[in-house]
Amino acid sequence: MDEPSADVNEHVLYPPMPAPDELSAFFWDGIARHELLVMRCTSCGWLLHPPKGSCPRCLSTSLAVTDLSGRASLVTWSQPMQSHEPYFQARVPFVFATVNLVEQEPLRFATNLVDCDEDALRIDLPLVVTFRDVAPGCTLPLFRPA
Amino acid sequence: MVNASKRVAIAGVGYSEIGRRLPHSDDELVRQAVTAALDDAGMTTSDIDGIGTSGGVALSIGQLLGMMPLNWFFTSTQIGPAFSETAVMTISAVASGVCHTALAIRLIRQAGGGRPSLEAMAAMTGPPDGPRRVGGDQQWTAPFGGSMPATFLGGLQMQRYMSEFGVTQEQFGVHATIQREHAARNPDALLRDPLTLDEYLASRFVSKPVRLLDCDYPCDAVSCVIFTTAERARDLRKPPVLVEAWAMAGVSDLDMTLLDDFTANSVAPCSEALWSRTDLRPSDVDTAHLYDGFSVICFEWLEHLGFCGRGEAGAFVEEGKTRLGGSLPLNTDGGACNVGRRHGANFCIEAARQLRGEAGPRQVPGAEVSVWSNASGAFAGAALLTTDR
Repeated sequence: MDEPSADVNEHVLYPPMPAPDELSAFFWDGIARHELLVMRCTSCGWLLHPPKGSCPRCLSTSLAVTDLSGRASLVTWSQPMQSHEPYFQARVPFVFATVNLVEQEPLRFATNLVDCDEDALRIDLPLVVTFRDVAPGCTLPLFRPA
Repeated sequence: MVNASKRVAIAGVGYSEIGRRLPHSDDELVRQAVTAALDDAGMTTSDIDGIGTSGGVALSIGQLLGMMPLNWFFTSTQIGPAFSETAVMTISAVASGVCHTALAIRLIRQAGGGRPSLEAMAAMTGPPDGPRRVGGDQQWTAPFGGSMPATFLGGLQMQRYMSEFGVTQEQFGVHATIQREHAARNPDALLRDPLTLDEYLASRFVSKPVRLLDCDYPCDAVSCVIFTTAERARDLRKPPVLVEAWAMAGVSDLDMTLLDDFTANSVAPCSEALWSRTDLRPSDVDTAHLYDGFSVICFEWLEHLGFCGRGEAGAFVEEGKTRLGGSLPLNTDGGACNVGRRHGANFCIEAARQLRGEAGPRQVPGAEVSVWSNASGAFAGAALLTTDR
């Protein structure tokens, strides 16, 4: 493992920002409005994340956008102690996590946990989404203990 | 119609020079590894009619080494299960009769691991000191700092595994010390100095709970295994090693942050498929060679292949069962944490050497059945090998 650069640029404000595409634009537009949206199959009701052009359960292309409660539970997590990204190198250790949104099992979502003690982290810890403006023009859906 | 189900054997194995940031080209390392494998088998380039590779391009390697015409060639996307994908494809090709003797190659360089480096990706999307954007699959991970394999693969799996089953960092530490003991008996290993449990526990976290010593050791390496029919293998330089069964499994696309099950993942269905294709049982296995790109993956394989129950790998290791002299010597070459990141190929090659009785000071006496595996998370592959009994 290579050592991260020692001269971290403290002026860096930006994490790698999402580049919305045709399928994901609704999601990131929703995040900017502080709404957590996913695709729902109108044929079988399955919730999809990340968004695709068809439902993996029934192959229907009839998909609609639906709003989620933002409640989730903790599936697993890791705390990076180094990063090639100056934004994250300045913030280590932070908590990268996979959470499951309560509306469906499985409905996994990758995120960061904030406002929590390391010692409190456990499988199934109840969480709730919090929309954070992490950089100018960049709002991300993070999670904190409910 | 010709019978299209042939017994497959390993005829030869070989490595290039292996080390950190070697000055050689990819082509030169491939030439070295293939030459070593051909020499091991007592074969020449004209005996080869198939090439599978992960790293490089199969047809280019065929051209480079004067092996044209080929009857079969396969180039991995390099996002599949590393060497095991290529090995499974190659075994299947020989078994089908579409070719009779094929190389399975894994070419890997220290930086990047076959994918663009994070630095290279950053250069494509913009400068690090201003707004830049990441699309595709990375848009769901990179904005949260989860792009490092020790985080999205090793970290997420190891944390879930430790939290779910209560396996301790000390148990992972014992595993690391045992693998290092084995590496000390392997002149080809890159890390051979004795390792104590205290040294393991003092090593730094890369992405907690993954320590540096839970990670495979990046290096430049080309590995080559020659698969042929059992019939042909019996006329060659070395005793044939027979492929008893082989399997692969995939459970998701490459976003390993979103697995349905972080501790069973692809390892469980791959293990189940492997045992469904043989009358042999886990108790028949004399040596195990299980992928340790991150040490938790090795524990997953121990459990899902049936050598111990779910969550019991830590105790299994602590009881000394995976040591040389134990009931299931594991990663007798030292594993990828010590021989370097050969991305799965070393497990196949070490299994073959054990079954030939060529493992020198780390030889398991009378080894007749070995299992090797590779990868975890989205995809996995494994094979069961035997002597020519």
